[in-house]
Amino acid sequence: MSEETAAEKNALRIMVLDDEPIVCKRLKPTFEKMGHTVETFTDSVKAIARLKETSFDVVITDLKMEGADGIQVLNGAKSASSETQVIIITGFATSETAKESYSKGAVEFIAKPFKIGDIVNCVKRIEKERQEKQKTQSSIES
Amino acid sequence: MTLNLKTFLTHKFFPKGAEFEPLYHEFRGIIERNNQIFDLMADMGDKLGGEYVFDRKYISDCADSFEKLIHDQITAYCVLSGRKNQTLFRTFDKVRQAIRMEIQGQYRLPDGDAVIPLGSLGENAIELAGNKMSVLAHLRNRLLLPVPDGFVITSGGFVEFMQKNKLLKQAAAMAPDREDDGHFREAAAELQDRILNGSIPRKLSREILTQFDRLADRLQQNNLRVSLRSSAWEEDGRASFAGQYSTILNVSRKELLDGYRQIIASAYKPEAWRYRLEKGYLEHEVQMAVGCQSMVNGAISGVLHTLAPNIHQDSMVINASWGLCELVVQGNHLVDTYIVSRISPFALRQSEIVSKEIRLVPGKEGNVVEETIPAEIADIACLNPAMLTKLAQTALRIEHYYKRPQEIEWTVDSSGNLQILQVRQLQFRGRRLPPEGEFEDSLRQARTIFGGRGFAAQCGIGVGRVFKIEENDKLEDIPQNAILVSRFSSPRYGSVMHKLQGIITDAGSPTGHMAALAREYRIPTVVNTGIATSMLKQGQEITLDATQRVVYEDALYALSHFELIEEEVFEDSYEYRLLTRIGRLINQLHLTHAKDESFTPAACRTYHDIAQFIRVKAVDLFIRISEESKFKNMSIARRLASEIPLGLLVVDAGDGTDCPQVSDRIEPVQIKSLPLKALLEGLIELEMWATTPVSVNLKSFMSSFTRTFCASLASPEEIGRNLAVVMKNYMDINLRLGYHFTVMDAYLSETAEDNYINFRFFGGVTDLARRSRRALFIARVLEYFDFVVEIRGDLVTARLKKLALRRMQKRMRMLGGLIGYTRQLDASMNSDQDITCHVENFIKAIKSTIGGDNERRNSS
Repeated sequence: MSEETAAEKNALRIMVLDDEPIVCKRLKPTFEKMGHTVETFTDSVKAIARLKETSFDVVITDLKMEGADGIQVLNGAKSASSETQVIIITGFATSETAKESYSKGAVEFIAKPFKIGDIVNCVKRIEKERQEKQKTQSSIES
Repeated sequence: MTLNLKTFLTHKFFPKGAEFEPLYHEFRGIIERNNQIFDLMADMGDKLGGEYVFDRKYISDCADSFEKLIHDQITAYCVLSGRKNQTLFRTFDKVRQAIRMEIQGQYRLPDGDAVIPLGSLGENAIELAGNKMSVLAHLRNRLLLPVPDGFVITSGGFVEFMQKNKLLKQAAAMAPDREDDGHFREAAAELQDRILNGSIPRKLSREILTQFDRLADRLQQNNLRVSLRSSAWEEDGRASFAGQYSTILNVSRKELLDGYRQIIASAYKPEAWRYRLEKGYLEHEVQMAVGCQSMVNGAISGVLHTLAPNIHQDSMVINASWGLCELVVQGNHLVDTYIVSRISPFALRQSEIVSKEIRLVPGKEGNVVEETIPAEIADIACLNPAMLTKLAQTALRIEHYYKRPQEIEWTVDSSGNLQILQVRQLQFRGRRLPPEGEFEDSLRQARTIFGGRGFAAQCGIGVGRVFKIEENDKLEDIPQNAILVSRFSSPRYGSVMHKLQGIITDAGSPTGHMAALAREYRIPTVVNTGIATSMLKQGQEITLDATQRVVYEDALYALSHFELIEEEVFEDSYEYRLLTRIGRLINQLHLTHAKDESFTPAACRTYHDIAQFIRVKAVDLFIRISEESKFKNMSIARRLASEIPLGLLVVDAGDGTDCPQVSDRIEPVQIKSLPLKALLEGLIELEMWATTPVSVNLKSFMSSFTRTFCASLASPEEIGRNLAVVMKNYMDINLRLGYHFTVMDAYLSETAEDNYINFRFFGGVTDLARRSRRALFIARVLEYFDFVVEIRGDLVTARLKKLALRRMQKRMRMLGGLIGYTRQLDASMNSDQDITCHVENFIKAIKSTIGGDNERRNSS
């Protein structure tokens, strides 16, 4: 396998959804710098429509939004592809919302404000798990 | 389990009907809220470094929390003081209103003079002077770049002028009519006409002319001519109003006021007005400041783009011609073109020298006139290599500060001096620079030296060579574009920040004073890495990504390019500006000296002032109330008799002392409260140290300390009145010694699970550097003794929990020693080296008296 295709394979497709534009503006370049492809949304209804068109490896979504809330986005992402990892970010962090998010299948629940490094580490973890999974799969196949 | 003190006090110790309890709770509440207020202020400071993602909700949550805390604080103070404190409530209301208006996006006229010299524009420059002039002020005042001297007639001046002529209301009333183009144009023409014939308030016109005369004096020009430029909010910012407003060149004193009216009127040119309305600007957001700068008789002028991806990767493009800059800006004449590398030494990659026919020069009667270029210079290049390098260097410094590609209008005067005329951002939104793949390749091949350590004090990317600085090194030796690497963070680096690409330190806090300066200069900065000085070599070329806290080997220009195309620069985001503005309303401290006459409610201007006032007064009040023994069933406050004039009053809230009811004095031996007993042992028994074999330095230091302490501060009034509320196992103590505060509460008992010490230390009157050093000293000592420590600026907070009684007592004695030792320490903290020296000395002294190393807890 050539190095470039390896890099392409490792690149994640990431959706960032938050009704506060600043969150999208700050996360997009962060993940692009890591070599990932990023689509950002400030409108949850549009984001859900986009999830019906195409699947993402990682969806990072706000919880409390006009229109559809983060849990609906989480459901939408999971029903589009069970492989999609969903990270919930919220300024209304309570143990109830955290519990609900995890029970619905969120991989991580992060309270706002958060350090960029925290969410980067979270995505790196997802990236690593994916690679290991791919490695096991290819060793089974061969 | 941490003890719930309130329940404890209420149920166990106070007989029914005691009046002490409610007052004590108010007092206790004031101290607790004060701690929360400080924590919240520090928390907001952290967010400005760029390491956090925060949104408007965070800002409004912070504002709500402050509102509640400060309101409760004043209310509690009312109960304690038995007064209404209307002045405090009024100030509170004023600050609250201002913050609410900011959060709702409503316009607030900034405080400041109507006319301000360029050199005096500081923090709130953008609100006062508009975008264009505030940028020039930053270039001049912060980056120390050559910008023609001048002054700004501020947005405040604009409002004065418009209000005097009743034009603001008229503009607001006319704005909705834009659907009907004919009518809109008519209305615009009428408004412009009224502005041109409007009368300038006498005070304003006098100030304008005074500033003009002062400028002429500074420049020693009898026949001073100036340029007048519009500088509206957001002009040249993200929205481009380029060319929509007027610029008038070569204006004399006589023409100055008319020129001012003309620039103001240009805000209501139909095109400009319509553009503004379509972009969603509200009428009250039009704040037209006007820049007035000395006219430079440019011999060579031009425009530089720091990035030109359409023309050449990794290059700057410079257009230049003879005469004034206007000709190049107009773009309707042939001019020279130079393509220069963005990387030092800025090689000339390509140039195109044309035959230049016309140049613009200042006319005798004002304005500018065209002139034929003399044949001997028409066909030659107007820029030599030295000037190209100088231009390139200057341009990249501007780009680095604003983290955006820039368009720069510049001129070179007849003596060969470069002057920056105007600067605006270039937009490359949605483009990938460098081209697809190159960036990822470059980052994949990059070798990380270290990462994930410390805190980002200011985000961003810096590329440069390591310059390691030792305490006694001269700052002037630091080369241009270096990345400063040092063991400690220090505010003294502020004086060289304009030269730096980045700062990395082993120790330091993201909310310290150096961090604040790094943010002001926007220098990518990571502090507290622990290993920077040992991992990085002098002169080594590195790339610092402060946002991600990674240091790479070599110069990764791709990474810094990437930063240039980020959709929004963090420091330019609305949220950043909002948090900064609100921070100013909350954090600035005007009441510093408790003994000053100005320490009054009327002098409070911010939440910080109110909090500071109440904290100091509440302690005084509570002491007075205790002294006057107003409490039934309560022992009165007793003055501690000790050789050290601590001015400490002790209130026994239950089994804390062993002393006759009638006495108003208490001997140290009568203190039964375990925490206070231990603390006093450390504080008072200084002789114990002097007799032990310690270093000469410390010995002499301690003896001088004891002497000064007793001689110069004999009267308790001079050191403030201090208070301890005690019980058998509990102590709550407020100490003000000199100008700094120690606040502590502790519970010490045989049950290790319940034991804790909370320690806070802040304040001081010496300069920031010394105070920061003292904070570092305290933090390092406390860490040595197992405390969990946090430093924020000069505030040190430390916690210790769940150690066995004996160990807790030893640490409490150590704290007593520390409070004494530190009392005058900031005065002697001359260098960073002193921190290590004092830490070692202090720990040695403690070890030889009350034990140290062998008592250290196995880390759990």
